[in-house]
Amino acid sequence: MPRPALSAAAAVVLLALLPLGTGGSATGAEDERTTFTVGMSQDVDSLNPFTGIVSSAYEMYQLNYDTLTDYGQADFAAEPSLAESWEVSDDGLTWTYTIRSGVLWSDGEPLTARDVAYTFNRVMKGKYEQTNFGSYVGQIASVEATDDQTVVMRVKAPSPTMLHLFVYILPEHIWRDIDAKDVTDFTNEPGPDGIVGSGPFVVKEHKKGQFIRLERNENYWGEKPAIQNLVFRIFTNEDSLAQALRRGEIDFADDLGSNVFESLEGAEGVTQFPATYSGFDEIAFNVGAALDDGTPIGDGHPALKDQRVRVAISHAIDTEALVERVLGGHGTPGTSVIPPLYQDLHYDPGASAYAFDPAEAARLLDEAGYTEGPDGIRTMPAGGEDAGRKLSFRLLGRASSQTSQQSVQFVAGWLEDIGIEVKPKIVSEDALTEIIGEGTFDMFEWGWVVEPDPDYQLSTFTCANRSYKDGGSVFANLSDSFFCDEEYDALYAQQKEQIDPAERAGTVKEMQRILYEQAPYVVTFYYDNLEAYRSDRFTGFTPQPEPDGSLLFQYGTHSYRSIRPVTAEDRADGKEGTKAADDDATSSGLLTTAAVVGGGLLAGGLVLVALRRRRPEHDVE
Amino acid sequence: MGYVVRRVLTGLGTMAFVLVFNFFLFRLLPGDPISLYTRGRNMDREQLRELRRELNRPVGEQFLGYLANPFSSGVDSTQFSRPVWDVIGDYVWPTLVLLVTATALSAIIGIAIGIKGGWRRGSTFDRTSTGVTLTLYAMPEFWLGMVLLILFSTGVGVFPGVFPSGGTLTPGIEPWSVEGVLDQAWHLTLPALTLTLAYLAEYALVMRSSLLDEVRQDYLVTARAKGLMDKLVRRRHAVPNALLPTITLVFLNIGFVVSGAITVETVFSWPGLGLLSYQAIRGPDIPLLQAIFLLFSLAVVVANIVADVAVAALDPRVRT
Repeated sequence: MPRPALSAAAAVVLLALLPLGTGGSATGAEDERTTFTVGMSQDVDSLNPFTGIVSSAYEMYQLNYDTLTDYGQADFAAEPSLAESWEVSDDGLTWTYTIRSGVLWSDGEPLTARDVAYTFNRVMKGKYEQTNFGSYVGQIASVEATDDQTVVMRVKAPSPTMLHLFVYILPEHIWRDIDAKDVTDFTNEPGPDGIVGSGPFVVKEHKKGQFIRLERNENYWGEKPAIQNLVFRIFTNEDSLAQALRRGEIDFADDLGSNVFESLEGAEGVTQFPATYSGFDEIAFNVGAALDDGTPIGDGHPALKDQRVRVAISHAIDTEALVERVLGGHGTPGTSVIPPLYQDLHYDPGASAYAFDPAEAARLLDEAGYTEGPDGIRTMPAGGEDAGRKLSFRLLGRASSQTSQQSVQFVAGWLEDIGIEVKPKIVSEDALTEIIGEGTFDMFEWGWVVEPDPDYQLSTFTCANRSYKDGGSVFANLSDSFFCDEEYDALYAQQKEQIDPAERAGTVKEMQRILYEQAPYVVTFYYDNLEAYRSDRFTGFTPQPEPDGSLLFQYGTHSYRSIRPVTAEDRADGKEGTKAADDDATSSGLLTTAAVVGGGLLAGGLVLVALRRRRPEHDVE
Repeated sequence: MGYVVRRVLTGLGTMAFVLVFNFFLFRLLPGDPISLYTRGRNMDREQLRELRRELNRPVGEQFLGYLANPFSSGVDSTQFSRPVWDVIGDYVWPTLVLLVTATALSAIIGIAIGIKGGWRRGSTFDRTSTGVTLTLYAMPEFWLGMVLLILFSTGVGVFPGVFPSGGTLTPGIEPWSVEGVLDQAWHLTLPALTLTLAYLAEYALVMRSSLLDEVRQDYLVTARAKGLMDKLVRRRHAVPNALLPTITLVFLNIGFVVSGAITVETVFSWPGLGLLSYQAIRGPDIPLLQAIFLLFSLAVVVANIVADVAVAALDPRVRT
């Protein structure tokens, strides 16, 4: 008796599922015009801006909250946001910001200069609050709201970052209830009214591991976005994400791998967009590992302390081949550590660039005394401390990155061509961090993503940011090449106080010139951010920077405010695929029919089986 | 009942071992958890020192703390900055739903196939079903999942792309409304189907072979000689006896499906424990990983005990 009951139950479940085939797709189609869905591979770790660290979390913060000023869409120049204007005193020590009037929080409360002062003071005084935002406020001595529209900040020394304070302004009337102790555990998950903020969107719902749903902030002070619902869906599998884009479940995909990106070629209604990006990969050298006080540590190969060897290796690495063969062409050969995306700050070595030339590399090594031994491997010059030691380098790659492993293979081959032995090893990023910190390596492959403000990136080459000792153990700091140069450090200190952008850019370029000449890194390439979107449905994306920077996940919410659904007029213009949309409609109708028929047959079959089984039981009893 | 007590005691012993092993396993891992936790954060050395002091407590002291609360020994998940147990709580339900559905479906369908095939050994049905289930068994789960996803979510040729490509719920739908429940069932279909197909073969084959053993037994000859209908001989006499190994298998699999769901959950972006462990490994998020490992091991041990006790209840022969 239990078995027929079970079959019947299964049939009921199946029947119950059926309406969904029709219901699901029908409701989907109606909402699509106003809901913009982004697929991404990383969940938000925390909606509390003092806690989260992953980039997807920062995307939510900037959609939900505002900053004083923004990085412009076209070229990263500072532009007004909550502060509509600002003034700096002649000595560069006092900054006065005028806050927009009439701004409301999403719950209807007025936003004033007092909220701004509250947020900054909280970050400056709170230990926990500083972990995410401390780097923006270190130079600030005091922040004060002199009236509802005016914030006055005093700085300890003139600072170029005062128009780039990426601190999210929080509503005092909400956050004053979350004290210094509670804030560490505060998740800031949205209530029924969403997370109270002043940004163009409000986070309404967060289903962990699945999606974050935002709605347009009807109280937003700026021009209201055309999209009403904004959904970020999390995919743990890039192939599924690509399928969802083909299927039209999502409208935008970011940060795709090159294989997946290529697979979207020719997909109906999908436009591929390889955006120039601010990330680079490098081959780094151990130029002489030491602690911040100068005490040598580690066991790096002595030959790599010699700038001439590093330059020779730079000549032996074919960066163009790496772009072609490792990135599938989606990138640019690398030179200096500030990517060309930041065109005002990027240093271009021009004619003095290290061209790929193995013969030149071999000549430089010969000249410097690193001659080949009988086995074809070069040795340390005669007469030196390590005379006769082979040029045999450990080269570490990262297990989590295909790109890294391939780069390591290529570089190992090229170095062998010029008589340098390479021992490649692939390790986890975690293990690599530790190895780097202790200086027990010769070369490794890794990368950085560079912010519009160059300070952080440049600081990774200062003497002070080498590893440090604490309680008997050595810990890694920001520096991973152990580069240390007096002139460079002096320029670093200088650029920290240069308010004039052009003047500062000069210093920043000079620092990159030193780095390029000294070659603690061989910057192998600047990789593209591979994006794809449904151009049959949405248009109006604004790249940052113009003309081919990222369309989403920018500094600021520019694109989200300019994206709009494709209209009949756009279609008449002929560019966006009208055909795809029509096809979708007919095929989804067909599919629904097929599903209903198929499901019906299945359920019918099960019911039949159940009935047929019941009969003999009656016969016997 | 002596048997049951013995089984439970053995199980508890295994759990104790797992508990201790799990603690030391994760302390053997290389790497500095604090630099992982603080990557990308602006912390001064004083703060780092404080965090390290917490981790550098004597091992004995840490071990006692761990025993008192094995799932979150005072250290938050490094990825989510929340107590480990809270994080697991968010992810455990989707896995349970998927697991129970897939186990129930694969057991019911698998057993049915096994009975039909075993009873008429060598028939067309037997040969076809054995071939098909073995083929399904041989397929890697993630691959099968990917194929189903492309066929029935994206849609290729005649195949209807009607199912969602991932998640458990369409954003914006109230989860506990009628529409929401149906929507969740709709999302469940493909991942559950993948796991069902993958686990089907085991049940079908075990059921088939144990039925084959019974078919040759004397009591079935007797039953037939009494003039009972073939169907009744099968249902009343052969199947109940042949079911025992399959029941053991069902429970054993429950323990393993939890971890086996990792790949399927990854394919379908199903926010369950499998996915969470994948994320924890990618981090790596050691506190979270440790708790998940413990949970998975305990699931296997508990499933084992339940299987033993259940079989003992059904079959007096094993109680001795």
